[in-house]
Amino acid sequence: MNILKKWRLWSTLLILVFCYFAIKPNFQNLESSNKINYGLDIQGGSSFLLELSEDVFKKNLLLKIVSQLELDYDLNSSINNGQIEIDNAQDLTKLTNIVMQSMGLTLNKKTESISIIEIESQFFKKSISDMTLNAVEIIRSRVDFLGNKELSIQKTGLNRILLEIPGSLNQNVKEIISKTAELNFHIEKNSYVDTILLENIETNESVRVMERPSLTGDYIQDASMQYDNNSPVVSFSLNKAGAEIFGDLTEKNVGKRFAIVLDGTLISAPVVRDTISGGAGVISGNFTNEEANNLAIILKSGSLPTDISIIQEKQVGPSLGKEGVTKGIYASIIALIAITIFMIAYYKVSGLFTAISIITCLLLLFSLMSLMNATLTLPGVIGIVLTIGMCVDANVLVYERIKENFLNKSDDPRNSGFNSAFITILDSNLTTVFAAIFLFAFGFGPIRGFSISLIIGIFSSLVVTYIILKLFLEIVPIEKTGLKIK
Amino acid sequence: MIDFFKYRKLSYMASSFLIVMTILFIFFKGLNLGIDFKGGFNVEVRSDLSNQELTNIFSRIDTSREVIVKKEISSNVYSVRIESGIDDKLFLDSLRESVSTLINIEILMSEYIEPTFSSNLIQNAIYALLSSIFVIALYIWIRFDWQFAFAGILALLHDVFISIGFMSIFNIEFNLTMIAAILLIAGYSINDTIVLFDRLRTLSSEEDVKINLPSMINKSIILNLRRTILTSFTTILALICLVILAPVNLTEMPIVFIFGVLIGTYSSIFLGLPMIHALNYESVLKSRDS
Repeated sequence: MNILKKWRLWSTLLILVFCYFAIKPNFQNLESSNKINYGLDIQGGSSFLLELSEDVFKKNLLLKIVSQLELDYDLNSSINNGQIEIDNAQDLTKLTNIVMQSMGLTLNKKTESISIIEIESQFFKKSISDMTLNAVEIIRSRVDFLGNKELSIQKTGLNRILLEIPGSLNQNVKEIISKTAELNFHIEKNSYVDTILLENIETNESVRVMERPSLTGDYIQDASMQYDNNSPVVSFSLNKAGAEIFGDLTEKNVGKRFAIVLDGTLISAPVVRDTISGGAGVISGNFTNEEANNLAIILKSGSLPTDISIIQEKQVGPSLGKEGVTKGIYASIIALIAITIFMIAYYKVSGLFTAISIITCLLLLFSLMSLMNATLTLPGVIGIVLTIGMCVDANVLVYERIKENFLNKSDDPRNSGFNSAFITILDSNLTTVFAAIFLFAFGFGPIRGFSISLIIGIFSSLVVTYIILKLFLEIVPIEKTGLKIK
Repeated sequence: MIDFFKYRKLSYMASSFLIVMTILFIFFKGLNLGIDFKGGFNVEVRSDLSNQELTNIFSRIDTSREVIVKKEISSNVYSVRIESGIDDKLFLDSLRESVSTLINIEILMSEYIEPTFSSNLIQNAIYALLSSIFVIALYIWIRFDWQFAFAGILALLHDVFISIGFMSIFNIEFNLTMIAAILLIAGYSINDTIVLFDRLRTLSSEEDVKINLPSMINKSIILNLRRTILTSFTTILALICLVILAPVNLTEMPIVFIFGVLIGTYSSIFLGLPMIHALNYESVLKSRDS
């Protein structure tokens, strides 16, 4: 009866029940969010780390501010060295501190002739961060349209996006994620003032157009690939505001050419034959099927507010990870058996407790990882094998301290031994956990996977030692544990 | 009873020698930096071709790039490292394409890291390392005393530094996984040291009659000797299983870690505890006693 009152016994049962229910979803084919995810290095797949250019974003932001200053405050300004310069001869009274603050600007310097204004760094950071979040959605929709359903995409750091696609990779993915997809329509103008010459090397087409675009891709509502005379073209439709601008534009410029420019490259420059009022158009330009489809996807998903580049790319074939996991599991099992044999040879019955401790520790580790929906990577597997080591260390510390207490003939050698050993274990393990937490916070990639399994592993080891190992020591008569030294 | 404390001068000398060796090796031989820290391409391939044949195949794709082929331990898997150059984006695709036509090479993994991003990773890793060392020091200081924190961190840095030297000597590729190994060594080292510190703390609070720090240090070591040996042994046992059975591209990590366990065990006994004496902890004990 006395045993039934022991809270450790009930906690042990509770832990086992918890483990059963927490691990179960991993073996069922259910759509459950409480499963262990396998990292790309285990299940195979591709990952891309994309970086959005801060410089280009800043340039675009400055251009926007300059035009806003001109439109709303009648101020002419210029960009110099990432700052905005305004001639003091103009009427600056409307540009109050409050106005500047609302635009995220701050006055850097005011000389006699000019005022130098810059973007407030806090505001700039926030803008970049928002822009990246926005870009995440754009990239997600682009890759989605290609039919990758299980992708994971997230913002990391200020201006980076991590895209992970399990399984084999559609070759078009790389093509569509690295495009800014800034679509502009420029009207032909035969003058050298405020114009640029656009050329398409492949088709030898060239046209001189107004530098400022008359219409941008922001107004595009939908786009799709179609066939025109058996060659693929991209048809698009504009939203209401865009359709109005487009109608107006085509009406005024019948007979002129208008250039369709994607990411600074001329695609084609057809002649406006008639007013286009419905807001629908077609882009043709010697596309292959794939190119037309990719273009439709990126137009549909919207353009990115800045340049984007792939700074890390990884493709893992399925065999490497599978082999890694199988080997990792074998390694763990063999390590477990080797340690158990050794511990039983050395500590007799107590060695068996160690084996049970290790197994429950691993069960608890997997349960917590499932519950947290954590991702298991190969470095994580190494972290788990290390957890086995930590768990054994805790056992050894407890056993040695109890033996020592028997040798010193102290009173209640079992409990005092356990308690003093547990303080040591707590101190040494907590130091490692603190270090691992910081690793996780600052680390990247493999370091993170490793520190996660280490943190959860040490926690599990502590719980198992404090509850289950102690339970064994309490319920098994001390003479039978093999720890008593006469 | 062995007097471990007596050997402290010897161990200080041995450690100094190892540190000097590490400095020399890092300075003259350098570290075999992986693409995580240098940028470039890394391709893991399974193939029955020889090292030289693979080097030829990969060099042919772009003759201007340096190619280093290395066989992974106990397998027919090779790691091919190719330096970064102009137009990296296209190179990776053409590499995959030209290798996929060959039947006797299977690409297991291919990776590209932009050089500017890799410098970012180094920074990141250093922050991670420094911040965790700082937290460790703070924790030991709070739980023990500043002498313990100082000695513990010194032993830890010693282990980490010499392990890096080990990687330089044996030409082991230094990459992000190795940073994790280094941190693991740091964790193990401090774990081992703290177990001994804890014993010293208990002893110094019990034996207040006659303060003799060297004998207390020696007693801490001897009382914990069995645990130290058992734990190191079982950890190494688990690690040997990993070396034999680790995923092909991760075999080097457990090897480095086995070295770390050995050096960590050594440093906690022969450096960590004697350092506390060297930092004049005896006077702290005496003032507490009087």
